[in-house]
Amino acid sequence: MPARIDPGPVYAMVRKAMGLDGAVSGPSGGDGPARSLYIHIPFCFHKCHYCDFYSIVDSRDRQKAFTARLVRELRALAPFSGGLPLETIFVGGGTPTLLAPGLWVELLAALDDAFDLSVIRSGIRAGRGEFTVECNPETATPELMGVLAGGGVNRVSIGAQSFDPAMLKVLERWHDPENVGRAVELAAAAGIDRRSVDLIYAIPGQTLQGWGRDLERAISLGVTHLSAYNLTYEPNTAMTMRLKQGEFAPTPEELEVEMFGLTRETLTSAGLDRYEVSNYAVPGHECAHNLAYWRQKQWIAAGPSASGHLAGHRYKIVARLGDYLQERDDGFAPLIEHEARDARRALAEIVMTGLRLREGLDAQAVLARADAIELGLGERGLGERIEREVQRWERVGYLLDDGGAGGGRRWSLTEAGVLFADGIASEFIARIG
Amino acid sequence: MQIRNFSIIAHIDHGKSTLADRLLQATHALSDREAREQFLDGMDLERERGITIKASAVTVKHIHNGEEFMMNFIDTPGHVDFGYEVSRALKACEGALLVVDASQGVEAQTVVNAYLAIAQDLEIIPVLNKIDLPGARPEEVAEELEQVLGFAAEECLAVSAKTGQGIPELLSAICDRLPPPRKPVTTKTRALIFDAVYDDYRGVVIYARVFDGRLKVGDKIRMMGLDRMHTITELGKYTPKQVKVKEVGPGETCYIVAAMKTLGDVRVGDTITLEQDPAEEALSGYEPPRQMVFCDFYPATSDKKGNDFEQLREAVEKLSLNDASFTFAPVHSEALGFGFRCGFLGLLHMDIVQERLEREGDVEVVQTAPTVSYKVDMRGKGGGIEEIEVHNPADLPDASTIVAIKEPVCRVEIMVPKQYIGDVMKICMDRRGIYRNQTYVSETREILTFEIPLAELMYDFYDKLKGMTAGYGTMDYEVIEFRTDTLVKVDILVNGEPVEALSLITHRDKAELRGRHLLVRLRQQIPRHQFEIPLQAAIGGKIIARETIKGFRKDVTAKCYGGDVTRKRKLLEKQKKGKDRMKSVGSVNIPQEAFMAVLDTGE
Repeated sequence: MPARIDPGPVYAMVRKAMGLDGAVSGPSGGDGPARSLYIHIPFCFHKCHYCDFYSIVDSRDRQKAFTARLVRELRALAPFSGGLPLETIFVGGGTPTLLAPGLWVELLAALDDAFDLSVIRSGIRAGRGEFTVECNPETATPELMGVLAGGGVNRVSIGAQSFDPAMLKVLERWHDPENVGRAVELAAAAGIDRRSVDLIYAIPGQTLQGWGRDLERAISLGVTHLSAYNLTYEPNTAMTMRLKQGEFAPTPEELEVEMFGLTRETLTSAGLDRYEVSNYAVPGHECAHNLAYWRQKQWIAAGPSASGHLAGHRYKIVARLGDYLQERDDGFAPLIEHEARDARRALAEIVMTGLRLREGLDAQAVLARADAIELGLGERGLGERIEREVQRWERVGYLLDDGGAGGGRRWSLTEAGVLFADGIASEFIARIG
Repeated sequence: MQIRNFSIIAHIDHGKSTLADRLLQATHALSDREAREQFLDGMDLERERGITIKASAVTVKHIHNGEEFMMNFIDTPGHVDFGYEVSRALKACEGALLVVDASQGVEAQTVVNAYLAIAQDLEIIPVLNKIDLPGARPEEVAEELEQVLGFAAEECLAVSAKTGQGIPELLSAICDRLPPPRKPVTTKTRALIFDAVYDDYRGVVIYARVFDGRLKVGDKIRMMGLDRMHTITELGKYTPKQVKVKEVGPGETCYIVAAMKTLGDVRVGDTITLEQDPAEEALSGYEPPRQMVFCDFYPATSDKKGNDFEQLREAVEKLSLNDASFTFAPVHSEALGFGFRCGFLGLLHMDIVQERLEREGDVEVVQTAPTVSYKVDMRGKGGGIEEIEVHNPADLPDASTIVAIKEPVCRVEIMVPKQYIGDVMKICMDRRGIYRNQTYVSETREILTFEIPLAELMYDFYDKLKGMTAGYGTMDYEVIEFRTDTLVKVDILVNGEPVEALSLITHRDKAELRGRHLLVRLRQQIPRHQFEIPLQAAIGGKIIARETIKGFRKDVTAKCYGGDVTRKRKLLEKQKKGKDRMKSVGSVNIPQEAFMAVLDTGE
């Protein structure tokens, strides 16, 4: 069990770097306030066998205490938005929709009170003003959808995973596939503009045809965003244990590759383009909040086990609900991980997440950061090493070094290269040192 | 006073150093208390490997039949890698003791060393050593000597360097049977340099044998071959303790200090004369040392600032002060970075240098596959034929300009128990050997004489020989000439890109096999990548072998949420350590070990 970290000094450093104390550090004039917020709701009906997110099986008696504590944490964190309107909010879990509607009312009111939601309330425009709540198909009710919409929620991400009951059973998901469509309709009826569906493929026993049917079914719901995740055997999950015990065989890599290809073909012809390794959207309907992660923007984190990224610091809030519920005078929750600002780490992360995006990396920005590291740390040749790595992957046809129509040079992975995004990123990271 | 100059020559482990010590002790040059084993071998490494690398000379006094004898006894490096130094040392002598282990019998090295001594016209006293051992069979071994080298059995002296048995008789034989130094043939001074060592305090110390005239402290001397002048600041002898003298005359050996800073100032085999009254002609036989084997040394680790290379450079330069017979020049390899291409007298010399670098210089080195020195006849610009020396496959000129490639060929003596002759014949033939001779040694053993290209001996020939003869086979060799053969350069392409550090020169008939073996080894060494990697061996543009390293089908995690960034980055970083030690060629990461794959014939 990692030692808990006092959040006070960490947030103090962040405040200073952001210039919230008046004194601005750094030649760029500080990082400025964060424009995104992530909230983690840790409750679930049941722990799904593939899931490694922090969740506890619902105990209604603790929801109230949790909400009260979350509200206090949000108030303490609000200054990091600098009084500016939030551009994206994402509530994930767990199963956020398991929170009782009454508690949702309280939470949404507190958000409105602590933060400026004006941009969000004016609707999603040009990647701003997005408020997403993850939604379990079973928990979608007209009442809840109404509460959410009333609080400014304008996007739901529905965890369908599969429409095949046999596949759901393998995953130990206990919802009726029919409820996915119903949840989409309820959200639409409540005036929630954007609906996204999550699917999982390469489930043991799944065929290429079966996966094709899942995709068609999702498309037929009229969603404008779809996440299609290759099943991952995360450490310490029931699924991984069952795999190790030989309960089932993993899907062969060749089939996974075919499923990946089928996903892109099927969704592209339905008008959804891939904009990240596993994410597809009608152009303009990309998840703005996730893009903020992948573009290394700042975000505030609240709730147990939530991770934040502020002023170059990366940190994680304690996961155990009991620890989270303990009060502090400053209202912050204790942390269990913290990585201070580090130029080299930041560059590694930019490359790692940027390569996953269809838009790729802004070459000039990457090289400028490399220059800054060379200057700051007295190191030579970092920029050249990165360029050489770019050429290397270009030679094998996995990377495109594109001047761009507007002259903005970008490095992005090709269709063939996306399948090796991790391997390629690790090579870049090795060069960054 | 009578003078006797002689060397001891022997197969490794036949007791040469022990005998030397025993002789010193018997002449009271070393007190019993001082008689530490193997006094003449100065370096740790020499003692550990049981070989003598550097020659040195010791002068002792002995009374024989009431007459005083000055015995100068000149130690030689035992191995023919140092053949030139051996022959120079022998040239300073009139006689040699040929030591043979009375239980082991005549070995390949005994024969090659004896040939060297015979070539110098030395009087040889065959000495059967270790007669105290239970397995000693001096009569049979004496017969072997007669069979192989033509010494009459009664010429042999039986001794035990360990117990001292026979040592007085040996001393008498040295006085009676070895000839005195020849008379001076001119009044002008001529002294032969037969060794030179570097000393941290005095600079270069020369060992010389005076043939004509005299040398005195304060003399201005001239090296006739190098044409350099120095002034003698110190003259002396080792008895074996160092004793300074004012002057030395004909027939004597001595050491000379003359303010020479590097071994580059002196050449073994050169003739010293006086600047004032120079000799007209140098003593015969001077040749510069000839490097036969070449390989690259690179630092095994590389930090980004290049400190490791600097450390290697220091170590190499320091070592070169002590060993003038190895050469080095900076090289850069795309795959291995900055390093040195080094030339050696032979394979043993190469091993010794590498070990000394790592031990004395405290650097870890990656050594590339050794290659021999080739002589290439190429069409010159004017249409004439030009000969160049090539020490690296990468330096081979364009195939269209090559008229002929010549490689060093050795005469190899292999001493082998009779039952293994067939196997040994076969491996020699496989290694492009030409059978020359078979000599009866005894009921049980024969000597086979082959001519085999040095390049073929380089790849585990000795290990194979030992393996197939249950350890009883011994061999020794000497480069006799450069000979033209159908040699080709095999290029190795990794993912379509030629990797010079992996290319090799080999006989055309063996190119496919060598190429294929190398590719198989590479396939095992190079990790899977995100793509399929073709490995090809090619001669000119023609592919002669191919292997493929299968690629991963995919390497990407599905999810990367905000909270995953740290965890995921750490996972990717974990793979970084392994990558640091790999060299990227084109798009492929090649571990350093792969560059050693060329060494392995994979037979």
